Amino acid sequence: MADEQEQQVPVQNVEEPLDLIRLSLDERIYVKMRNERELRGRLHAYDQHLNMIMGDVEETVTTVEIDEETYEEIYKSTKRNIPMLFVRGDGVILVSPPMRTGT
Amino acid sequence: MLFYSFFKSLVGKDVVVELKNDLSICGTLHSVDQFLNIKLTDIQVTDPDTYPHMLSVKNCFIRCSVVRYVQLPADECDTQLLQRCSKKRGSSE
Amino acid sequence: MSYLPGTASLIEEIDKKLLVVLRDGRTLIGFLRSIDQFANLVLHRTIERIHVGKKYGDIPRGIFVVRGENVVLLGEIDLENENTLPLEEVSIDEILEMQREEQLVKQEEEERKKKAMLERGLQPHSELHDDMF
Repeated sequence: MADEQEQQVPVQNVEEPLDLIRLSLDERIYVKMRNERELRGRLHAYDQHLNMIMGDVEETVTTVEIDEETYEEIYKSTKRNIPMLFVRGDGVILVSPPMRTGT
Repeated sequence: MLFYSFFKSLVGKDVVVELKNDLSICGTLHSVDQFLNIKLTDIQVTDPDTYPHMLSVKNCFIRCSVVRYVQLPADECDTQLLQRCSKKRGSSE
Repeated sequence: MSYLPGTASLIEEIDKKLLVVLRDGRTLIGFLRSIDQFANLVLHRTIERIHVGKKYGDIPRGIFVVRGENVVLLGEIDLENENTLPLEEVSIDEILEMQREEQLVKQEEEERKKKAMLERGLQPHSELHDDMF
């Protein structure tokens, strides 16, 4: 029992998955999206569908292109910055709370 | 309802709606409903060569389910208020 | 008209000439006669417009009931601009042939990309295929 108490995040309880996201408000989070898209930015709002609003977002898209002459595959990471972004929840695969994950 | 209210507060502002088929449409937010269907006026497609069919369209209705992102005007977003509302709803659910 | 939650704002578009983009990439143009809360549509005097580069062709299709989930967007045709577009209309046969060629090239490229992404352990993008919307 005592162990369980200690494991809990102080101040607010974490009982269901979205509680962990509530604790990430105003923190920089990492979001993995469908179609090899990744977002890093500050979480300002979310709802039960995982619709979110993020600020100072860096989006990374991984694509593959085929060189027309050599037929070689070229893997590209395209990055762009978006100051304020609404993200529709149905494209979200996972949300990772405040950065341990580099950058 | 949080995002519905939020989008209603942005009516009249310029946004860029990015769809899941990679089409990006920039326009003035005309209206939004509770499913987050969006109506834009004075639209411009960011890549008109790839999407020539949009050239004759000025106003459009976008079905909620095809939206990937909406790029928002940062100055018009009260992030403190958004965070407060998210916190409140999160703990009451 | 009874209260329709959701797509109620489409009532304003009834009887207007609209362009409808579907999830499979098709473009329909017709007069919107009816709608409901799912954005199910009835289109009247519909044509399907096929674009390839700067050329397009129109195929008459008649009346359509479109299931809402397949709708990407509805656009109001700007009637003033409609005929001054930098596009050229060609015959149905010609545009179908161009479309076929374009599709073959695209398909081949998609296959190669899909294979390359799978080799890297990445989830291939299925741009026009279901389940992504």
